[in-house]
Amino acid sequence: MFSGSQFDATSAFSGGGFMTSQSTQLNDSTLSPAKNRETQGLFPVTVKQISEASQSGDEKSNFIINGVDVTNVTMVGMVFDKAGRTTDVGFILDDGTGRIGCRRWVNETVDTKEMDEILDGMYVRVYGHLKSFQGVRELVAFSVRPVTNYDEISFHFIDCIHNHLHSKFRSKGAGLTQTPSDSSLNAPIRNASNGYQPPSSNTLYGHYSMDGLKDCDKLVLDYLHQHSDMADERGIHVNELSRELKLPEEKIRLSLKTLGDDGLVYSTIDDNHYKQA
Amino acid sequence: MDTSNPAAFVNAELQRGYIGRKVRAVVQVTHSDGGLTTGKSTDDRQLIIKGLPQVPPRSYIEVIGIAENNQSIKSDMWTNFGNTFDLHSYNQLCQLANGEFKGLFL
Repeated sequence: MFSGSQFDATSAFSGGGFMTSQSTQLNDSTLSPAKNRETQGLFPVTVKQISEASQSGDEKSNFIINGVDVTNVTMVGMVFDKAGRTTDVGFILDDGTGRIGCRRWVNETVDTKEMDEILDGMYVRVYGHLKSFQGVRELVAFSVRPVTNYDEISFHFIDCIHNHLHSKFRSKGAGLTQTPSDSSLNAPIRNASNGYQPPSSNTLYGHYSMDGLKDCDKLVLDYLHQHSDMADERGIHVNELSRELKLPEEKIRLSLKTLGDDGLVYSTIDDNHYKQA
Repeated sequence: MDTSNPAAFVNAELQRGYIGRKVRAVVQVTHSDGGLTTGKSTDDRQLIIKGLPQVPPRSYIEVIGIAENNQSIKSDMWTNFGNTFDLHSYNQLCQLANGEFKGLFL
């Protein structure tokens, strides 16, 4: 079934390794429509992921997997029910997680040649773009190649997992405070919600502590200023400052002492409550 | 699209969880007589495959079929993966596909 001549023909056509073929094949036929749809690249996916993808907006060809717009995908699976017609070849791709209908338009002789090699029961690597036609999701393939090194099957599914993690991390990174760069991005949001911009992670705390007390003093003063309420004579508790600014209590107390010495803050009902002067 | 009948990636250990269901496994053939085929699973145990023709020993084959019990699969389809195959990577994939990332597969 997988003869040597088949392998030669494929590699001659696609340029050998699957990474190379990806770029050569994409360049010819699909870069411009992909650009029009503002998609970013080619995603390795499983049929299961496609079945669970949500479709966004009016444009029917927009699929969202892990919060990322996905149009062009690559899959590895077995071919079934191949049916050649005058202008296209249809087949079912079964990747073990599910089955999806595929269509490969054949305009040139080279397309026909490529599809002639593909037989039912054969493992193939497909590149194509996702479409929804009359409510049915299908793949319009622009490249269908027989798999000749079966490690490509393991590779593909590991690639799917890798890509899944990658896009999960990306979509999470924008919304959560996990890294120093993220917390700086996040600061304006906090600013809007409580009117103050505290350091939002322990990583940032390190930064402030290194810069000495000056920054800490300013944070404490700013916080007291933002949360000053004329009606509340008690002021702000040291614990609240420590909690909100994510700084240790002794640091806060040291700052309060400095600020107090400068006459900028004063203690109220006890040594734990402070107000701005 | 149809995701109602997936084939789970399994090694011998994971096959226990799929008895009576569709699985896919890769084995290195140790013995084949046209009736029963025995092979080494990706986690280095013995699996018996039913319904295969005679397969050259030492070759790697993938079987898709029904897990009959802990160590036997009734083959629906099989593919000869040739004489070289990275069993270790495939085994790792089996574990990932049945663990943290099961949602991508089943």
